[in-house]
Amino acid sequence: MEQKKSVRTGKWLYKFINNENTVGHVFAFPFIFGFICFSMIPMLTSFRYAFTDYSLGTKTAEFAGLKNFIMLLQDEVFLKSLKVTLRYVLISVPMKLIFALLVAFLLTRKSKMVTLYRSLYYIPSLVGGSVAVALVWKQLFARKGLINMILKAQGLGTVNWFGDQKLALLPLILMSVWQFGSSMIIFAAGLKEIPVTYYEAAQIDGANGFQRFFKITLPCLSPIVLYNLVMQTISAFMAFTQAFIITEGGPNNSTMLYALYVYNQAFKYNNMGYACAMSWFMLLVMGAITLIIFKTSKFWVFNESDQ
Amino acid sequence: MKKKMLALALSLAMVASLTACGSAEAPAETTAPAETVAATEAAVAETPAAETVAETAAAEEDITLTMAWWGSQTRHDRTIEVIEMYEKEHPNVHIEYEYYSFDDYFTKLKTLVASDQVWDVFQLGGNFPMYMDKIYFLNEFIESGIVDTTNISEANLKITQDTEGNQIGLSNGLNTYGIAYDPAMFEEAGATLPNENWTWDDYYEAAEKIHDELGIYGSSAFGTSDFIAGCSTYVSEHGAVGEYSFFNIDLTGMGFDDAQMLTPYIQMRADMINSGSYPDAGAEAEITDIENDFLVTGEAAMTWVAANQFPTIYDDCQADGRTLALAPLPKVTADGHAGGVIQSSQMLCVSQDSQHKEAAAAFISWFQNSVDCNNVLQGERGIPVNSEVRAALSANATPGQQVMYDYVDMVSGFEVPEKYNVLSPDGQDQVVDNYRNYVQQVAFGEISAEEAADKTYADALAIFNK
Repeated sequence: MEQKKSVRTGKWLYKFINNENTVGHVFAFPFIFGFICFSMIPMLTSFRYAFTDYSLGTKTAEFAGLKNFIMLLQDEVFLKSLKVTLRYVLISVPMKLIFALLVAFLLTRKSKMVTLYRSLYYIPSLVGGSVAVALVWKQLFARKGLINMILKAQGLGTVNWFGDQKLALLPLILMSVWQFGSSMIIFAAGLKEIPVTYYEAAQIDGANGFQRFFKITLPCLSPIVLYNLVMQTISAFMAFTQAFIITEGGPNNSTMLYALYVYNQAFKYNNMGYACAMSWFMLLVMGAITLIIFKTSKFWVFNESDQ
Repeated sequence: MKKKMLALALSLAMVASLTACGSAEAPAETTAPAETVAATEAAVAETPAAETVAETAAAEEDITLTMAWWGSQTRHDRTIEVIEMYEKEHPNVHIEYEYYSFDDYFTKLKTLVASDQVWDVFQLGGNFPMYMDKIYFLNEFIESGIVDTTNISEANLKITQDTEGNQIGLSNGLNTYGIAYDPAMFEEAGATLPNENWTWDDYYEAAEKIHDELGIYGSSAFGTSDFIAGCSTYVSEHGAVGEYSFFNIDLTGMGFDDAQMLTPYIQMRADMINSGSYPDAGAEAEITDIENDFLVTGEAAMTWVAANQFPTIYDDCQADGRTLALAPLPKVTADGHAGGVIQSSQMLCVSQDSQHKEAAAAFISWFQNSVDCNNVLQGERGIPVNSEVRAALSANATPGQQVMYDYVDMVSGFEVPEKYNVLSPDGQDQVVDNYRNYVQQVAFGEISAEEAADKTYADALAIFNK
């Protein structure tokens, strides 16, 4: 009897360990653990703090109701940072995607150098939003930086990039566009998936390069465009390093990106509760924009299974 | 066989020395393996070292202190040097240090406050009221003699006490603000040199003239200190001595009623940005610390300094063949009173979170009182409060330091109110950032100077109505 039972538990254990669900969960455990500890708990905590006047300095968190959210609407800098961030996203994301698509398209040619070029173009994305790159950018666009040296040598006047509130955002946008590597790789993969037969058929019908690009490449690539658009929009909303390192939000808060203002409120001005409220507001904005993109996607994303 | 024995002895010795090194928490445990090694050592060369480590660990507990400060590269270099000196004198004390720029220091400090892990020894300035909960008063250490105050005068102790007489920290030095300038540039441009009674109008005219004649900035950017200049100092320079101040003495409200008192300064600042005699925000962002200030790089003729910063930039400019001078802060009217007061530059405090408060206090005492230590520091944080140290330093003062000593002596002769306040309330950072932004908005023509003054006043008032 006893033996039979232990054999049965042994079998059960064996089955349990080899069950696909168990294996899956074991492998996913590091992620789940990390997600709960470093994403979910902080997020829930920040949600609670959004309704308090929590500050890092005093460490007291008294319930304040919706006060933080009401204060947001009266905060000039907040409204400005929202405007600046929207402008940043609206300009940088399309520019980045167009540029990434262009380079990816050029690199579909059959040449041995393609892999090398792809790696080269990917490097700026590898160094990513690092402080070092931002510092380089700051030097490039400084009053006596390389860009102004070149302009001067060409007989053009120098430009006061970071002193002019209309221009200051431009170098930051260029920096993000310059890091087009990851979108490019995804586009390149998508381009490879488009059957060559389509192009051959079009060629026989006498379509020129532009027609082939707009009638075949773009529609076939549109699901990937959608993916890149969503991902890049979300990451653009969270841009921080450039503004923090290069301009500190100036002049006249014209580069006060949303994430930088959240940081300032949380760590510089000691209003953690207020900063949490700002973060949740940004979540709503980003959620809404992503939703809009998805809702409109049925008008422009081409799906072969629908045809 | 012999080889095997040697290998065994060696590995045992290594294990022993490893445990001895990591013995900070449990010295009792380490002595046992160290003794076993002592028995087997005989032929092994490494073991004597392991033994001495074990012995000191048993005699005096190994202590690791953490310390942090903000400042320029010169300060970092000198402070690291004295930390190494201290470690050599006290082999059982190990100091882990971190250094930051001013803004980053306080960002880091705030996160440490939140996690109850503030450095054992940390530097604080006039914004200490915010961190009061984290400061461990030095009172008991002064009584027990661990902190030596024999050569520090009552008045100098007082500058780092709270209103109840608790010793918050020991001041790193006496300090005051001033305008550093290059007389040669003034002369070349034909501008009037600053004197003891110069006014903000004189400052403005000189800056404009220098910009017109030489094409450089008349005045370099004041940075966040433009708030001290345009609000704290400018307001207190009005009326009778001590009549007005930006915040009141107890930091519970405003120290003046008429917001328009700020207008002339804001207007002047905006005009200077527009005429090009003062750096705009873009150029200002290029200044990362006092040593690459436009005065030092030769792109400006004057700048705002804390007196303790002066010797460093004096030496930097001397290397380029330029000689700087130091003028008092401009006044509102030539026959009015001066706005500058003597204050503590910063202080070193012991943290509430410290596991080794006594050792931290002992280090602070050494830092302020040791002549050897201060010979390295060279008063870079301000004029030492210890009279013996000050005498030793001023005996060998470099020309730049001499200017600083003379200047601070001169300012201490100025008429000052009986009670004055150089502290800043929690929330001031936001007022400062907004103030600087309003100045830019005036320069861009978005708002008037009057509106900027009203907004600054409203922002400051909001601190107290939170």
